[in-house]
Amino acid sequence: MPAFTDLLFLAFAGLTLLFGFLCVANPLSRNPVTSAMFLVLTIVSLAGLYVLLHAFFLAAVQILVYAGAVMVLFLFVIMLLDLGEEDRRKLNRVALISGTAAVLGLAGVLVRALWSAKGAAATGATLVEGNTAPLGRILFQSYVLPFEILSILLLVALVGVILLSKKELK
Amino acid sequence: MNYSLLQVELLVALLGLGVLLADLWLPPRHRRALGLAAAAGLMLVFIVGIRGAVDTYAGAAEYAFGAPKARTGMYVLDNLAVFFKQFFLLAGILVLLMSVEYSDRIGSGVSEFFALVIFALLGMLFAASANDLVLLFASLELVTITFVVLNSYQRGRAASIEAGVKYLIMGALASAFMVFGIALVFGSANTTNFSEIHAAQKQLAGNPVFLVGLAMLLGGLLFKIAAVPFQMWAPDVYQGSPAPATAFLAVGSKAAGIVLLLRVLFGAVPQITAQWSHLLVWIAALTILYGSLCAIPQRSLKRLMGYSSIANAGYLLLGFASLRAEGVNGVLYYLAGYLFTVLAAFAVVCVVLRHTDSDDLSALAGLGQRSPLLAGALALAMASLAGIPPLAGFLGKFLLLKSIVPNGAYDPGYYCLLGVAVFGVVVSLYYYFGVIRAVYWGGQASDLSPIATSWPVRIALAVCIAGIFWLGLFPDNLLSLTGPAAGVFGKLATPASWPANAH
Repeated sequence: MPAFTDLLFLAFAGLTLLFGFLCVANPLSRNPVTSAMFLVLTIVSLAGLYVLLHAFFLAAVQILVYAGAVMVLFLFVIMLLDLGEEDRRKLNRVALISGTAAVLGLAGVLVRALWSAKGAAATGATLVEGNTAPLGRILFQSYVLPFEILSILLLVALVGVILLSKKELK
Repeated sequence: MNYSLLQVELLVALLGLGVLLADLWLPPRHRRALGLAAAAGLMLVFIVGIRGAVDTYAGAAEYAFGAPKARTGMYVLDNLAVFFKQFFLLAGILVLLMSVEYSDRIGSGVSEFFALVIFALLGMLFAASANDLVLLFASLELVTITFVVLNSYQRGRAASIEAGVKYLIMGALASAFMVFGIALVFGSANTTNFSEIHAAQKQLAGNPVFLVGLAMLLGGLLFKIAAVPFQMWAPDVYQGSPAPATAFLAVGSKAAGIVLLLRVLFGAVPQITAQWSHLLVWIAALTILYGSLCAIPQRSLKRLMGYSSIANAGYLLLGFASLRAEGVNGVLYYLAGYLFTVLAAFAVVCVVLRHTDSDDLSALAGLGQRSPLLAGALALAMASLAGIPPLAGFLGKFLLLKSIVPNGAYDPGYYCLLGVAVFGVVVSLYYYFGVIRAVYWGGQASDLSPIATSWPVRIALAVCIAGIFWLGLFPDNLLSLTGPAAGVFGKLATPASWPANAH
């Protein structure tokens, strides 16, 4: 008799895979908006997996940032583009075959690696609960250097976006 | 926490922010002066900061951002880090001088261009000191994202936008693989620190999940140095980007990939690297072949440099495949020569582009009469890249080739690799001398008016030419720097099938 959390894991994992597949290869619709909506569902199911891993903060951020802010941006971009073009475009057979081969190859390598590593326990686990307090402590103590580098990265991205998109620059 | 360890990075970050802020109050006509001031600031960091950093760590490695006393911090300052910090700062100074020359072609946002060059430099400086996968990823992303902006900077030109988009998509794909690999490594090793991975590599070598993660991580790094099979982006991006951005991409970004490859392959997992020697041999051979053969029909100088950069990534990988400290030494020496030659070539491209608006080889016709300085610098750079003694490129190639020869006794594959490398050198003579021919004997030029060069470019060219000759004629000076830098990894591991006294 599997535990309740195991059932939840299977449900969320199955939904993530299903929605992910429908996002990239929906047999019923080639409308980009539909794909974007399935991406939202994929992200929500992933957040469920994070909750099961006790990473509550990550789950909340996943919903707020990805399912909320990033998806709105995606939808904006899709609506600004010509939607009909995507429907008219023929499937490129070479791209389809090579893409499928790449996915299958990568999946094969990963599955084989995971399968043969079954039972090899991780060494010396020091788990941190996914609340904000321990996360903040790690972020601002041992990982403060990458954190600050990423803040400069955001500054660069900001400057870059303004430069590349502003109409007229002096 | 000893912040004086980070003084070079802190000073460069402040300089970048300062340039960004100074633009607010500076009238537009002083923009060129701002670029020169930024270059002077980097020069100051080069003199003061590097000396301070060397005094702080005093020969032995110093770690920061980790458990106190333990030698496992995520930031490391050792001979290798200081060597690469000097390398990146020098490249940054020369690229800034070039950008000043190029500024009227950039059009809008000139000061931001200078600031972005400095921020890319900051990412490279952190990469030189990375001792942790998290710092590796953060610093590489800073470099990559900055280059996406720099490559598409001339947004009025379709080629520049195309270069930026290509670099963005390919770079994002490489980063995705890399971060996936890092997740697998963390999942199996339960640490991202190179020193801790090194301590546990015996158990990890038998863990397939760890090996798959490591392979994906290597894929991301090979993208950075444009090695086969992750080289597709290089020619297009090199051709479309503004010349100073291409120059920095060719020198700085490649060197950042090289130092991280060194840290991962020889610092974190030397034993696994030794078992993967065949893989390294194959990648090096294919990269040299691809770069050399595809460079033959090129007519655009920037595109030619793109293929040449792929071939040079292959030569650098020879040093990795050798699994010897001598090979690492050769990699560092070759990179130093590469810095001067490639920057000299791109400084000439910068000026010529301004006057002819084309980087086709035919546009170089008559350059020998129009500007003897530019023609001489370009010819020297090409001769050095081709490996003509007594220039810098010759000794670098010699050290790299020499480092793999003894391995042939244990593994015949190394003799094949040597043959491929020599073949690549011979082929490269053809296309590098094609450029020299275009400069001096390039047929009738329609315009023979002299090309004026501004003094920043003349300084940059003088430094590069002096560097090319200095490295070729007096190698001892640099070898006294690269030797200790290559020595930080100690005695490198050899494959199990080789005799125990292989080194």
